[in-house]
Amino acid sequence: MTPGKLVERLLHLIPVLAGVSVIVFLMMTLTPGDPVEIMIGDQNITEEGEAALRRDLGLDKPVFQRFFIFVGNALQGDFGLSFFHRRPVIDVIAERLPATIELSLVALIIALATAIPLGVLAAIRKNSIFDKLATVGSLLGVSLPGFWFGILLLMLFSVHLHLLPVSGRVGFESEVEPITHMLLLDSLLRGRFDAFLDALSHIILPAVTLGLPMTAILMRVTRTSMLEVMRQDYITFAEAKGLNRNRILFRHALKNALIPTVSVAAIETGSLLGGNMIVETVFGWPGLGRLVVESIFLRNYPLVQAAVLFYAVTYVLLNFLADILYTVLNPRVEL
Amino acid sequence: MTKFRRVLFASATALSVSLPVAQASEVRVGFTQDADTLDPANHRNRETETIIRNMYDGLLTRDPSMNIVPELAESFTQISPTVYEFKLRDGVKFHDGSPLTTEDIKFTFDRLIQEGGMGDGQTSPRKSLLGPLQSVDVVDDRTVRFNLEAPWPLLPAMLPFQEMVSKSFVERVGTEGMATQVNGTGPFKLVEWRTGDSIIMERFDDYYGGAADIEPVGKACVDRAIFKIIPESASRVAALLAGDVDLINELPPHSIAQVKNNPDTDVVTVNGTRSFFIAMNMENELFKDIRVRQAVAHAIDKNLIIDRILGGNAVSISGILSPDAFGKNKELQGIDYDPETSKMLLAEAGYPDGIDVTLDVTGAFKDTAEAIASLLTKAGIRTTVAVGEGGQLNSKWRTKGGPKSGDMYFTSWGNGSLDPYGIFNPTHRTDDRGNSAGYSNPDLDALLDAAVTETDRAKRAEIYREAEALAAADVPYVYLWVPQDIYGVSKRLKGWRPSADSRINLHDACVD
Repeated sequence: MTPGKLVERLLHLIPVLAGVSVIVFLMMTLTPGDPVEIMIGDQNITEEGEAALRRDLGLDKPVFQRFFIFVGNALQGDFGLSFFHRRPVIDVIAERLPATIELSLVALIIALATAIPLGVLAAIRKNSIFDKLATVGSLLGVSLPGFWFGILLLMLFSVHLHLLPVSGRVGFESEVEPITHMLLLDSLLRGRFDAFLDALSHIILPAVTLGLPMTAILMRVTRTSMLEVMRQDYITFAEAKGLNRNRILFRHALKNALIPTVSVAAIETGSLLGGNMIVETVFGWPGLGRLVVESIFLRNYPLVQAAVLFYAVTYVLLNFLADILYTVLNPRVEL
Repeated sequence: MTKFRRVLFASATALSVSLPVAQASEVRVGFTQDADTLDPANHRNRETETIIRNMYDGLLTRDPSMNIVPELAESFTQISPTVYEFKLRDGVKFHDGSPLTTEDIKFTFDRLIQEGGMGDGQTSPRKSLLGPLQSVDVVDDRTVRFNLEAPWPLLPAMLPFQEMVSKSFVERVGTEGMATQVNGTGPFKLVEWRTGDSIIMERFDDYYGGAADIEPVGKACVDRAIFKIIPESASRVAALLAGDVDLINELPPHSIAQVKNNPDTDVVTVNGTRSFFIAMNMENELFKDIRVRQAVAHAIDKNLIIDRILGGNAVSISGILSPDAFGKNKELQGIDYDPETSKMLLAEAGYPDGIDVTLDVTGAFKDTAEAIASLLTKAGIRTTVAVGEGGQLNSKWRTKGGPKSGDMYFTSWGNGSLDPYGIFNPTHRTDDRGNSAGYSNPDLDALLDAAVTETDRAKRAEIYREAEALAAADVPYVYLWVPQDIYGVSKRLKGWRPSADSRINLHDACVD
């Protein structure tokens, strides 16, 4: 891809972000429910107290004015104070983001590491018992509710077998001085193998739960594209030439079959980042998804706005990455 | 240092850090919500208060039976209807070692009640919890006086909600720093706040001992106390069963048997302070007629629902107040379960074929609302349950005098102080915040207003008894029950008692 194309694609971000900020702002503001009312709950407050609070939160101004203040500040990188934490939303989001990214990455790795071999195997042994089991399995994987599957894993491995911890990111003893705030990485960088194992034991169940639908999808994609590639003339030709079958499968076929898998994986990674609120809630994982859901219920406008913009940027960039990967893997395709 | 020695050094440090921890006693609480902030003056959230109250103390506190007792204060007296005097306890230290002075007390309250008192242009959202408190004067180095703009007998009941901060510390770290740092006088010091995950605290060895009226007085029992945030109920129960935590809050009634049957865990309950009721929209033509409201009340078999759905963990109420509340009218005759009377009343009101209504409810109480709807339907009040989200339902029902649109709303109101003012005024005064029924009775308003400033305790209680009878006769709500707070505990946990105000005080908690 030429640098010109690259810049052009990046410029696409601007209308997307503008659109997303308008939509998210309007949706939050038009949703019935008042942050001040939610904040006070059923405690005592006087009318003056309520007015003061509204003024402090900037909610006493008309919607249009609030929108322009929001856009103006956002352009300068200021997303305001979280209504409930009373701290800059950027700080609050930044605290939670590493946990979400770490969980998503591990889920991605698990998904890729299981889906590709299973998909290839299913394709090679098309219509075998294994293939049929894999088909049923992937159907289940896509349709099982993450909530239910998570609780099931939790009851089995934590409560009954006592193998893995129930919730959280790491045990209280495994404190590691943060570098990247990704605990698996930090504990290795600090040479704390005990903390690494502890963090790993915490992340396994949520990552498996989170990665399950993606595993299922990627397996299907891999299987289908592998079958597709194996029908191609050049494979038939290679077979006719009498080349080693494994060599054909893994050198010629797999390389091409992985192209759709990789781009689907890149796009799906966006949904890993955005779609883990349920998993984060079940496993008490201190990530961004749970924070955003809680913030929506609390009508914490500034936090939701900033987080949704972040998700939008991530999606666009990941899609972009998927396109680049596609052209790299398949030079015949032009953007 | 050579690389090898660095590794050796690192593992030695790791070992020396992890050894004492392994021997230390530790109580772990599986808790529904993280703190919003660690600044005692900058939130309106009960869960936040529950957490930080273990690191900060108040002038006054409550014992587990909800009596108000001095904590950082040694004693207090009411000098006049508008002036209270507090004697400060001697020898109290903040976590940083500095002594607590009367200047700190004055500073704490100035920060709470002054416009812009937070120092960054903001006013504390807790200001209105202190009613007409106007100023705090330092009399001498052990005495402070609280001056009220008007008589307000609630002051002692509201002071346990406020925690004392250090003037020099706040001036040093600012309101921004207070959000994440702690320097209190409480039994525990902050070790680390892993936001969204856990709050780790350790015993404060210079603790003065806590309220003299709450035994045992002394330092906290455990070396470390941890609040671990587990929002999902099933996971919280699992964490308790797996032994990951020693105590969980909000144990769902349907998990009680599971926790009791597990050999290492048990269930502890305490009367809560939250009254549940059904608001009937009195702006609605249907519910303007008291006979229709009475018909609804007669159609609900409260005891059946308490038994079957709440597992028996609730006490039924005939007026808005909890049975433990000050001024509760104990003679109040409830409206008994009698579906035949319901049908008769409906017919008298001109609805011989019954009526069709909708009952609004939030997702968490869908089951209960459905059970109620089926009882109502049997009595000719054909009820559809509509599940809505909290914020949305509040803006539909808590309109403060603005028009309301629904028929009935299954809702509740909490009352952490157990003083009637906190629940009676908002739900029953004309156009007040929680008056979902749109109820208005000038006589009742007059009683409620008089009670706020009545300083004679006996007279005040009498006013509330009268008010409760008056309101109950008008049937603006179907008063349902006050559920118990249900905790799951590990059998290793000793000394901890639940408190009706849902505070989790870990000072006396020990772990075998």
